[in-house]
Amino acid sequence: MEQAIVKARPKPRNWRVILDYVFYVVLLAAAGGFIYYLYSYRLIIARYLPYLLQAAGLTIGLSVVSAILAIIFGFIGAMGRLSRFAPLRWLATVYVEVVRGTPILVQLLFWYFGIGELLSSLGFDPYNAAFSFMTLLQENSLVPIAFDAFFYGVIGLSFNYGAYLTEVFRTGIETVDKGQTEASLSLGLNSRQTMRHIILPQALRITLPPFTNYFITLIQDSALLSILGVTELEQTTGSFADPLLNSNDKLFMYILGAMIYFVICYALALVARYLEGRMGRAY
Amino acid sequence: MDIIAQNLPAFLIGARNTLIYCFVSFPLALLIGLILALMKGSPFAWLSTPSRIFIEVVRSTPIITQIFLLYYGIGAILANYDLAQYDNAWVAGIATLALNYAAYEAEVFRAGFLSVDRGQTEASLSLGLTPQQNFFRIVLPQAIPLMIPPFVNDFIYMLKDSAIVSVISGSELTSVLQLKVFQNPADPLPLFALAIVLYLVMSLPTSYVARTFERRLRAAL
Repeated sequence: MEQAIVKARPKPRNWRVILDYVFYVVLLAAAGGFIYYLYSYRLIIARYLPYLLQAAGLTIGLSVVSAILAIIFGFIGAMGRLSRFAPLRWLATVYVEVVRGTPILVQLLFWYFGIGELLSSLGFDPYNAAFSFMTLLQENSLVPIAFDAFFYGVIGLSFNYGAYLTEVFRTGIETVDKGQTEASLSLGLNSRQTMRHIILPQALRITLPPFTNYFITLIQDSALLSILGVTELEQTTGSFADPLLNSNDKLFMYILGAMIYFVICYALALVARYLEGRMGRAY
Repeated sequence: MDIIAQNLPAFLIGARNTLIYCFVSFPLALLIGLILALMKGSPFAWLSTPSRIFIEVVRSTPIITQIFLLYYGIGAILANYDLAQYDNAWVAGIATLALNYAAYEAEVFRAGFLSVDRGQTEASLSLGLTPQQNFFRIVLPQAIPLMIPPFVNDFIYMLKDSAIVSVISGSELTSVLQLKVFQNPADPLPLFALAIVLYLVMSLPTSYVARTFERRLRAAL
């Protein structure tokens, strides 16, 4: 009897489960080490972080403006792809295929060095235009020196994302049940009213989660504007890191920049996941 | 036309280098991604947590930040130990592309494994197969066809993202383009057209093949 009880004791835990507890200790130590790493660079953080946060603000501002423009491009593109008029459909398809088939970096260079140079040789200069416009409002000191890069950078970003959003909006509109259109048409709404009051409100709900995901990648791709000389987060990080002589400081600077991007994008990713759980489905 | 004929050889070499970058990085990304996916699916926290942290960090930072970090940041540290020559544009570029895409491929692998019906695993385990046999003979063969279209898509994305190597002066198509535009500032549009056409030639046929394959797969399922 006594022996049977001894035998019935649970087996010792699997060694891999024991490793879990070891791992939690290691994780705690790693987190502590990371905090100590940040603490040991507190002077650099105190000196550079305000400027980096300012640049992060510019990154977010650029991204929001680009996203709004991209929505407009995407909406026009989706209307083109769903149009009954064939040349419009072809034009929209070419737009989507060409933009999605080429790197965004090449597109940004194309807008800034290609189109920008061409337009300035024809006499259009965004910087001068903005400067004279702001002079009318007596605020021309607000126009940044690198306004051309801002202008073409935002255009390039939004043109690129417009192509992706075209597909998002198109699938959103196509996902709305065909019966909805039939019902609203037979109730006497015309096709424009159907689109405006019946289809779009439902399509918007479906497109919101993919749109949030594209907004996250848009913020990440706005880092590419640094090669045009826009002083957003990536460019600022690089320009602070470059003159640092100590290689550990240099590495830390890049890590700090990456951490700010991580905080922004991860927070948005959590929002996107929440939206995906709640919306993302047709009614 | 003259300017295109003049620069075509350099652009073709650039396109070749783009393909080399991708064909080296993508298998690496698949391998690391498979390891990450298996780790993430593990019931043990010491395997799943590191993989989850890696995936979230990589997916939440821009690839240009990662390449700067690997090239300038790590390069500065390596220079202390006289190892800087190992951190050139090829190594840093391939490492960035492979690590970045590994995080995305890991998600593709996971989605593929999860899409295989749980009943298959239960059946094979109750027929006496070991977990290893179950994974390699039952789950993986069924998951691979589902994973091929997203892999091809990601490969096309990588073709385009390899342009990022030009920020650390690599030698692929976009770097060549930047150099040539810098040399001919007066007439850059034909050069851009050439680069865009080359990128489209590389990416569009692949994406059409992927789409047809996907359609057939949908029909077969």
